[in-house]
Amino acid sequence: MRTSVFASINRVWAWLLLLFLVLPALVAIPVSLTPKRFLSMPKGDFSLRHFEKLFNSADWLSSFAQSAIIAISTALLASVLGTLCAIGLWRVSSKYSEVVRAFLLLPLIIPQIISAMALYRLWIPMGLLDSYSGLILAHTILATPMVLITVSASLANFDPKLEQASKGLGASTWTTIRRVILPSVKPGIFAGALFAFILSWDEIVVTLFISKFTVYTLPRRMWNGIRENTDPTVAAAAVVLIGITIILFSISAIAARRRAQTTSG
Amino acid sequence: MIETPQGNLQINGLSKSFGGFRAVNNVDLEIRKGEFLTLLGPSGSGKTTLLMMIAGFLDISAGDITLDGASIADLPAEKRNFGMVFQGYALFPHMSVRDNIGYALSVRKRPTSEIKARVDGMLELVQLQDFADRKPGQLSGGQQQRVALARALCFSPPVLLLDEPLGALDKKLRVEVQEQLKDIHKRIGTTFIYVTHDQEEALSMSDRVVIMRDGAIEQVGSPYELYEHPTTKFAASFLGKSNFLQRPDGLYALRPEKIDICGVDSAGVGPIRLTGNISSVTYFGSMQRVIVNVVDGDPIEVDVDSWRNKQPLTEGMKVNLSWQKGAAVKLSRD
Repeated sequence: MRTSVFASINRVWAWLLLLFLVLPALVAIPVSLTPKRFLSMPKGDFSLRHFEKLFNSADWLSSFAQSAIIAISTALLASVLGTLCAIGLWRVSSKYSEVVRAFLLLPLIIPQIISAMALYRLWIPMGLLDSYSGLILAHTILATPMVLITVSASLANFDPKLEQASKGLGASTWTTIRRVILPSVKPGIFAGALFAFILSWDEIVVTLFISKFTVYTLPRRMWNGIRENTDPTVAAAAVVLIGITIILFSISAIAARRRAQTTSG
Repeated sequence: MIETPQGNLQINGLSKSFGGFRAVNNVDLEIRKGEFLTLLGPSGSGKTTLLMMIAGFLDISAGDITLDGASIADLPAEKRNFGMVFQGYALFPHMSVRDNIGYALSVRKRPTSEIKARVDGMLELVQLQDFADRKPGQLSGGQQQRVALARALCFSPPVLLLDEPLGALDKKLRVEVQEQLKDIHKRIGTTFIYVTHDQEEALSMSDRVVIMRDGAIEQVGSPYELYEHPTTKFAASFLGKSNFLQRPDGLYALRPEKIDICGVDSAGVGPIRLTGNISSVTYFGSMQRVIVNVVDGDPIEVDVDSWRNKQPLTEGMKVNLSWQKGAAVKLSRD
């Protein structure tokens, strides 16, 4: 009896917590459907005019495309760098490699505003300010630790005997990484790439510092939309962003479930 | 043309230290081509460390290992061409049984047709023809064990190293796999180096057994030699059971099944040597284990074949113990 009471209290708490975390973001959905021309809650009647405006505006569409290019490039670059880092640290595995790992995680720990200032100062002499490569590099620096964490987690479950088995059968270190280690940490790489994509997709702090006219990402356009005029198109863009994020996570969850089924079945 | 290695391994003064701890201490051992050699010892005796140094997964601290006269001490594991069956098998979970077995040939860039033919042969050797396309996760423990064996043998290594390969199997299956392993060894003639802590496995499968203790070799010999003529108390008690008798000229080992138990009047297989009272009888079907308290010394354990036992043995019974001359073996040390 007691345990079931506790269980139901726990369940209620869990739902409340979930609502607390999710509800503020979901406010964008009704706001995006308002028929008014300023940010407001719709009263009774709904309209898709802001979505129409979003998909017919060259500015918004270009920002979508720019954000997509930057986020995909960041995800690819961060996955390669983060995976190599994780495998390297795992193979060396000494107290020094733990120090190196802590250093590599710094971009996650340092307040983004400080990273933003540092990158701004650094990008000026390098001529990377307000360019695709500048943004992709900056986002990659922020996102690589994500991949390092997820791939390291996969490696923690990796049986080191598999590496020995591969070498004992005559495979070089590189062949072993390619044919045994990488396939085993694939889920970690995909998860890390997804986190890297999303980090870049909604990154605003660093982006504000190092881009101006040439590159105009989606979060930056939303930021300006809110600051300069209270245009509900921002809410419509937010809904699209939420939708894309949910789709990506669903794909990754389904893939993970498939993988679990094929390996255990 | 490359000369085929013959599989004659020579280990000279081999040591391995971890910090201040000597896991393997100055081991000399010759492993002959084609023999089934077992490294037997309790955990911590250094048997797995020794195997890992032979495999090339552990650097050696001192000494040398030669294969057919040439030192392999500095060769990395991937250049030694030894097959290895790991404890827990270490099969590649993302590859099919076929790809697991063919891995060594495929990393050697052999033609696909050759790999296919060779893998088919190995599948037949371990009787897994119907499981070629399964993943390791879809196989039973015994089947996984056979995949691991086929994978390690597929590239015809001169030496096969086996690290407690049957540890994860239940007892009945283990006996079955022991026979298969012995049979496969006989058919392919590869040198087998087998690590186990199970004395029955060591006795039933090996040509020679190396008993290890605290990183050093305690005694080497055929199962018969080791069982009949142990030289130390440790060897006598680790391989089989033994009673120990302290005599004026030293310590003797006496196997429980070599003792004849008889009533006070009847004669035994030899002169009556001890008299005592039965303190317990445990029935095992084919035999009974009888503990006899004797006046002078430790209780004596006697294994009695059930069929020979004409009068029922009961606790408290007064009995005579006899054994033939030479049944008790003099030990050189502890």
